[in-house]
Amino acid sequence: MNKYITLFLLFLFINPFCMAEPLPYNFSDTTCVPITLSITEEISTKDSVIEGETVSFRVTKDVNYQGKTLLKAGDIVNAKIETVITSGMNGFPAEIIVDDFQIPNVDEKQLISTHYKKGQNRCLWVYPLKWSLTLIPFAGSLTNFIKGGHAKIKPKDIITIYYYPNW
Amino acid sequence: MKKIIYILLIMSIMCGSINANPVEINAIQQRVDNVGTRLLNFNRIPKRIIFTFDKEGKADWLSKYKALKRRQIIVYGEQYQFIQSDDEIAAMLAREIATVMKSYSGMWGGTIDAIQVALSSKKFETVADKRAVDYMVKAGYNPLALIVYINKTCPQKRQDVIARHNLTSKRLARIYEYITYKYPEYLQDNEYINNQYYQNFLLNSVENRRMLEEKIKTNSAKEVDYE
Repeated sequence: MNKYITLFLLFLFINPFCMAEPLPYNFSDTTCVPITLSITEEISTKDSVIEGETVSFRVTKDVNYQGKTLLKAGDIVNAKIETVITSGMNGFPAEIIVDDFQIPNVDEKQLISTHYKKGQNRCLWVYPLKWSLTLIPFAGSLTNFIKGGHAKIKPKDIITIYYYPNW
Repeated sequence: MKKIIYILLIMSIMCGSINANPVEINAIQQRVDNVGTRLLNFNRIPKRIIFTFDKEGKADWLSKYKALKRRQIIVYGEQYQFIQSDDEIAAMLAREIATVMKSYSGMWGGTIDAIQVALSSKKFETVADKRAVDYMVKAGYNPLALIVYINKTCPQKRQDVIARHNLTSKRLARIYEYITYKYPEYLQDNEYINNQYYQNFLLNSVENRRMLEEKIKTNSAKEVDYE
């Protein structure tokens, strides 16, 4: 009898360790609240844009969820410049990646917010030009000097990020 | 003579069975899947990317094209042999995720962007390294593992002027700079300080780190021309 009691106690002790830990997220809910923003001051890869720098966005429309106002039009939301890709040879465009939006009472984990902004993509005509110029020795290499457009985020650009309240 | 032939035959059969051990492959696949999916979920990446372990295959110049076209990240046995921790698997996968994500944006369902990434591999290599650091941090992995992984696996060529890839020392220096500015807490409370591979990186990057220190001192925003 003692054996069974010992085994039962052992089972009770081991069982919690065997159970899988709950995940720190649950994406089952599809409720999504879009948040539209515009930048307060223009940023461009032409000027010095530093990775990790904080940039401010203004909320363009009231954001409501379940009858409560989360954000009012005109509120300021801070975000960070995650990565800057400078423009490259052969028309490769510059790119700015903005993320880490700080919204009051909203956990970062409840947001899908990565925003990508690219400059003018000149590869579309530079590469055909490059390949046609290869008929003349070394001429194709000249297109290396054509750079892609700078990435700009202007105050008139509307950025939409998504808030999932039940994640 | 017959004995020797028999022994050789038995050995070759045994070796074959060891190489194709499905339990071992399943365990590696599971490990790769766990780390890869954690990276996707913690970074809230709402796109489909799968991870496949291929023990026999070899990474070649077409590997990137496969990843960009099929959104399938293949971990080859020759890459996996360098892996010592989940942080290092995360480093390897995070880089590939950054590349694959490029094929999901832009014109023609991402085809144009995918071609650009493939053609401008040098430029995008730096971008993928930086994005990988971000992905790793968000998923709770130590980004210094990326430095350790690259330091162990990528050879150092003589020059990168006429090359499809950056010099590994340059890549490492840029990653170190990115972590210094964006995630300094990992350097202050450095878990890798007693890691011999990390110490080897510190040893072979003295000049580059000196340049970075100069940049920080002078508060310069200019890109450092690393060696």
